[in-house]
Parts: sequence; structure tokens; C-alpha cells
Amino acid sequence: MPMRIPMHRYEYTKLTREQIGRALRATESGPTSVSPFTDALTGKSLRIVTQDGPVLEYSFGANRRLTLSENGGPSVSAGYGELTLNEIVFFSHMIPGEQKGYNVFVDQDTDLVTVFEVWFSSGIVQNAGTPNEFTLDDREVQRQIYFGYVDKGQEPPESLHHYTNRIAGKGLYWKQDTGIETLEFYASVANTNFVELTRHIDNLSWVSPSDYVLVNDHTFIYNRTEVEFSGIHTCFVADLFRCEQVGVRLGFNEKDELEYYMFRGTGRVVGQLAYLEPFDEHGKVPLFAQQNPNPPKGARVTYRPARTFRWMSDEEVHEAAERRTAAFVSGPSGVPQVVPSGHNMPFSDILVGKTFTLRFDHGGPVRDYRINDMYKLEYRDHRDNIWREADYRAYEGADNLAWFSHILPGSKPRASVQVAVDFTNGLATSIESHMGTPYYGNETTYRAVFGVVEMEGIEAPLYTRHELTDELVGHAFSWSYSDQLTSMHLYTTPHSMSWTIFTANQTMGAQWCSPCIYVKLRDGVYLFCQNEEACNGVQMIALINTNISHDCGFSFRGGADGVSLSTTGGIGRHIGKFDVREFYGPKRGMQA
Amino acid sequence: MTSTSKPSRPPKGGAVDNGRRAFFLNVGAAGVSTALASTAAMAASGAADPALRAALLEDEKALRKLHRAFEQAMNTGAYDDAVELFAADAQVVFNGGVFDNRSRGVGRLFRERFRAGKSGKRIEPAPGFELTADEQQEHVEVAADRLSAKAVFPYSIQVGVPIETESSLASMARLHGEGVKTWWEGGVYAVSYRRAAVDAPWEIRKLEYRTLARADYRPGRTYAAPIAVAPISTRYPEDPHGPDALVRPS
Repeated sequence: MPMRIPMHRYEYTKLTREQIGRALRATESGPTSVSPFTDALTGKSLRIVTQDGPVLEYSFGANRRLTLSENGGPSVSAGYGELTLNEIVFFSHMIPGEQKGYNVFVDQDTDLVTVFEVWFSSGIVQNAGTPNEFTLDDREVQRQIYFGYVDKGQEPPESLHHYTNRIAGKGLYWKQDTGIETLEFYASVANTNFVELTRHIDNLSWVSPSDYVLVNDHTFIYNRTEVEFSGIHTCFVADLFRCEQVGVRLGFNEKDELEYYMFRGTGRVVGQLAYLEPFDEHGKVPLFAQQNPNPPKGARVTYRPARTFRWMSDEEVHEAAERRTAAFVSGPSGVPQVVPSGHNMPFSDILVGKTFTLRFDHGGPVRDYRINDMYKLEYRDHRDNIWREADYRAYEGADNLAWFSHILPGSKPRASVQVAVDFTNGLATSIESHMGTPYYGNETTYRAVFGVVEMEGIEAPLYTRHELTDELVGHAFSWSYSDQLTSMHLYTTPHSMSWTIFTANQTMGAQWCSPCIYVKLRDGVYLFCQNEEACNGVQMIALINTNISHDCGFSFRGGADGVSLSTTGGIGRHIGKFDVREFYGPKRGMQA
Repeated sequence: MTSTSKPSRPPKGGAVDNGRRAFFLNVGAAGVSTALASTAAMAASGAADPALRAALLEDEKALRKLHRAFEQAMNTGAYDDAVELFAADAQVVFNGGVFDNRSRGVGRLFRERFRAGKSGKRIEPAPGFELTADEQQEHVEVAADRLSAKAVFPYSIQVGVPIETESSLASMARLHGEGVKTWWEGGVYAVSYRRAAVDAPWEIRKLEYRTLARADYRPGRTYAAPIAVAPISTRYPEDPHGPDALVRPS
């Protein structure tokens, strides 16, 4: 059965080193494989010399047994699996009695080799000496990549396999011989945004740190480790001429079952995003080595937001909200914000002088508004029929389309609304937001409600409504909130997205993801709403106008310092598109 | 005091040392205004003594080398190395903040404030904001007793501050060394040096960043716009990276 609980909400067991050691005994005979193993190495010996890594001396016997001597040390015997892809022989094995093993890719044409050392129970401490210090979970597979060659007594080669940005921006659909299907978006040189089409019941995308190694113009080696989730490791070589892969999966799944199997897969390229680094930047220095030329073994640039996100109860958050609920202020003194910051769109007076009612469907809220000021409005919810005053900010997100937000004063849990009112078409959508999710009091919950605007001179439609949409799915936009803060949003699935931060030379770097919704207001005009779940709980609610490549909107958050509503917006660039909408939605019934 | 001045960068086709060599060949000659007064001081202090002249020249070379070491450390982000060039009781004045004592304020400025802001690295001048030829003059004066010295060196550096937000964007940017708002500053370092004995190494006693221009500019851009940067207004420890005292920025 596929997972139902999203990975970022799943409480993975803290497996101990002992538990892992016991489970790894099953690896002594090597990995399994649905596809028949190949025997290219049977009866052969290889001496692999790596740069800045071990010398590995292998002898491959019959019945998928090998012996290995590391750096001239004693030989150990282990079971292994082997699959070939074109000229590449890939073999994988663990070392009995240890919690480590090797994934080795040998290019038989060039004798160049890429070696992945993989291990469990690393004990790696992050943020050492800081309040955020923590030790990586023992179940999280670590990897160290070594580039080398098969030593046949020849002169060492001048060039080896190397890290690359040539895969950056590419998206692939893969189907393994196991039946497992994934979408993988390589929208960063250091991460993968992936969608489990069969392992998970929802079409959500998640992010894992990755490495990309170039073998030749059509062959690359890849891995990801699902840190912050199961810690499982996927590693493969892929031929993009034929869109075929052979690889291995190693680690513990959500049921704490050990997975150690090799696979073949076929796939297809689903699109390509532009990558924006300089043309003479080839990504040969991985992100994890750019700040520190001698990074510790296993080091990666990995965003681990849940480690620093402090849990608060609903009551704690509400107490904080009672102490301070702020809307559209800047600085600790709470100066009202009258000019948008950075590259946001200007605030609009489109609502000034208007009196109208927003009536949302299916028993949704009905609110009267009377607005005579650019920053303050009055509203009355028909549920209690009391006029209230609230600070608001509005944009004209498209022609004659108002996009505004305000706090619902006195609400518990503290709530806000983000409202799009289309005065041309008589339609309205409200994102009803409030503090608290079933997981954190300091996360936000949101939902979209659809309805109409009733106002003198407007005939509101009876049936036509704004609606949830997947039109943005597959598209990527960079959003520059200021000249020095840009994020790329990749709208991965109808219910999720990722954001990627650019490095100084505009290489796509750190990445994370969240569920989200999209609403279509008009052709080219959308609402996008996400909560950075299990991250920092902040909600972003933006109107995206693709006609002008700009977004504008609001940010709603709460924590120990209270609840706040603020503005956000940036200049966009369309970075590209993946053709992936066909993969999403309810599956068809029994197929022939 | 003995004094030398030279342009920090040669004119196209020129040689770096021409200015300095010309000065010494023309000691006492008119034309290098800042040098003239010092020349008189040098003569009055007996610098006509060839041995002393040679020693002063060596001192001047050593001070220039010390300054280059400081700039190199700033260029490479080796802030710890930069701090080691200062005297124990050193003082640095930066944007209205006075940072006292090598192990406290000066260390805090460079190791914490500059590191967090990716500040101090030499970058090319912002287009349209290049310093004038006069402003680019380097100037070194060594006291007759050879135990103290003063110097002025031009600078063209990147300065920045961390983007103040708790957003995930900034947190993630910090993972790869970004999340910092940077700009260009040009001006002169006014430096005083000291040493305990003529055979002891020189140390920086006081360094003042005298900023002449600031611009919203990052290398690679073809244009720049002037910006205003508020002086530091919060002292340590209220600001963990703050100065020990505040002064009016020069």
C-alpha cells in the first residue's frame, strides 16, 4: 500500500545503530533485483584507484560473490549485484559486519570509475556548538563520492568523471522494473525535487540533496538521499540517449523495512528549465565544496528546517497573538507600511469609495465591505453582523481586479483573509487563513472559498466561478523580491511546489518544498497559496499575473512574537516548463 | 617623519613604482603636496643620514607589505588573520562605530560583523564612482624614531549586512554563503602603526574607514546608483556585532 501520510509529516522511527546493524545482515548476500543480474565482472579482478579516496582491489567470483581489499587491507567476502548499461558496469555491495558498502560505476570503454561509499549510523554532528546542534539520524544513508580509474598499469588518466551542472533543470519520468514510477526534477545542482507516483497516495513533491556526475555527453550518475524523511538512498546511472537507468536503492522505508535492491528503469525527458549561471560555469565544484574546499566526509548543503522549527501549541500561539497581532507594519516600532518593499507591486486605491458584499458559496462567509481609505476598511461578517475596522493593503493584480488582505480582529485562532475581487466579472475568491494545523500551533491553515461580489452595477454570475487549477503545474518562475533575494518556484504538482535559492552566480542551489493550491482568476492570472509546512509555518498567498510576470501578495505567520500579516511580491521570469500534468489526478480504473 | 606618496594604481602603460621613485629622486621638490611637509620633517629629523634613509625606506616597505597583508586577508575572508595584524589595544572606526581592543571589539568587527556581511573584499569601483586621482594617493609617514607611522591607502570594497528576515529564503541562501545585502564603498583607510622597538614587527594601532562614496553595485553590473547607509547606531552588547562606542561617521 502506498503511503498516505506525507513524508514531511511522517514520524520516522529513530532506528538505533544496533537495529540497523541487525537488519543489514540481510545484505551480506548482496542486493536483490527484479531484472536478471549481469555477469560482466564474473571471474575478473579490478584494482580501482581513486582520487583522494581508497584503493579498492576486487575479485569477482561465481555466484555473485566478490572479495574486496581496501587500501591493501585484509580481503573481505561479500555478495554483490551487477547490472550493465551500455558500456557502464554498475555493481553494489555492502561489507559484512560493517554498516557501509560501495556502489561502483565502471566505464569499460574508458576505465574511468565513480565510486560511492555509502554508510549508516554516521554520527555526524551538525551546527556543532550552537543551540541548533543535532546529530544526523542513524538511518540516514551517507555517501562520499570518489572519482578514479581501473588501474591496469597504465598512466593515470588526465581527466576523471566529475560533478556537473549539465543535468540542471532537466526533468525525467522514470519507471523501474519494480513498477515504481517517479518524476524527478533536477532543478538544482545540489537537490532533486521528486514525486512518488506509486509510493505515495498523493501527488506531492519532496526535496532531497543530490549529486550529479557527468560520465559523457549522454550518460550521468545520480544519487539522492531522502534526508529529513526515511533517509533512504537512490543511486543510478542513466543514459539519456535511450532514457534508461540501472541503479540501487538502499535504506529503510517508512515501515522500517530494509530496502536493498537494484533496478532497471526506462523513462523520458519531461522538460527542461533554463539554468542561469554563467556560460563558463560547468558545475565541476559541487555546492558542498564551494564554501570549504576540504569539506568533511559526507558533507552536503542540506536544508533541514524541521530541526530548528520550534513546536508551539495552539494556546501558546493565541496567547502570543493576543499580545501582538500586527498587520502591515515595519520595524519593531510598528510603523505602518505605506510603500511596498523591494520589487513588490504598488499598493492600490482600487477599493477606495466602494461598498460591496462578498458572498461565498456553500454556506461560506458573507461579508459586507465599505471602504473609504487606502489602508483601513470596515467589514461586517453576516455571522455576527458587527461592523469592524481593519488595516488592509490592496493591489490591482489585473485590470479592475482587486487583491487585498486583512486580519479578522478578535478571531481565535487568529485569522486573516486574502481576497481577490474581480469587479469586471463579479467573481470573488477568499483564501481563509488561520493559525494552527493538526501538527503545529505555529503553522497556518488555509482554504479557498469561491463566490461573487454584489455591488451596484455588477451582475454577478450564478454558476461561473474562479476555480482550483493545474494550469501552472510544471511551470517554473524565478521571483526576485529584491535585487539580492530571488527564489525560483517550481509548481511541481497540483498540490505542491518547491522553491530554490540561487547562489551568487545564479546557480540553482538550496531547495525545499511544500504543499500548495492554485486558483485560476482569469487567463494568466492565478492565486497561489502555500504554507511552509514543517519548516517555519509561514504562509504565502500571492497573485501571479503571468501576463506581466509579476506577483504580489501577502505573508501570514505566527509564533512566539505574535501573529503578523505582511506584504510580499517580486518580479518574475519564466524559467521553463515540464510537461507533467498527465501524471496527476485520480488514476483510471482497472486497466487492460 | 618620512613620507612617501604614490598613486595606488598606475596609469595605463605606467609602472607602479614610478611615483615613489620620482619622489625620492626629487626630495624636497615641489609637486607632491602631501609629501612636502613630511619631507621637511624627515630632513629636520636627520633623515639625510643615508643609513636612516635606508632604514626608513625599509620601514615604508614593511608598512606597505603589512597593509597588503591586511587587504589580502580581507579579500580572502581570512578575518582571523586580519585581526592578528592589529595591536592588542587597537581601535577600528567603521561607519560611526568604534571597535576597541584586538581580542574584543576589533575581533567582533572583523570576525563577526564583516564575516556575516561578506564585507571588506576588494571589488572594482562602482561605475561612475571612481575615486579621483588625489583620493587614490597612497601616503606613508614614518616617525623619526621609527616606532610609529601613519598611512593613507585608498580602498574599493564590498560591504554588506545579512538580510534581516526569518524567511526560509534567507536561511537557505545562508547555506551557500548568501542571504546578504551587499553594496560598494570607496574611500581611504587612515591607519596608524606602532611597534615596540625598531626590530619589532609593525602592528596596526588604529584603522579608520573614511568612506567617500557608496553605491548599489555588485561586480558584473554595468551601472550603479548612489545609496545611503545608516551609521551604526547600536552599541555592543545590545547589538552582538556592535561597536564599543559611537562617533559621527567621517
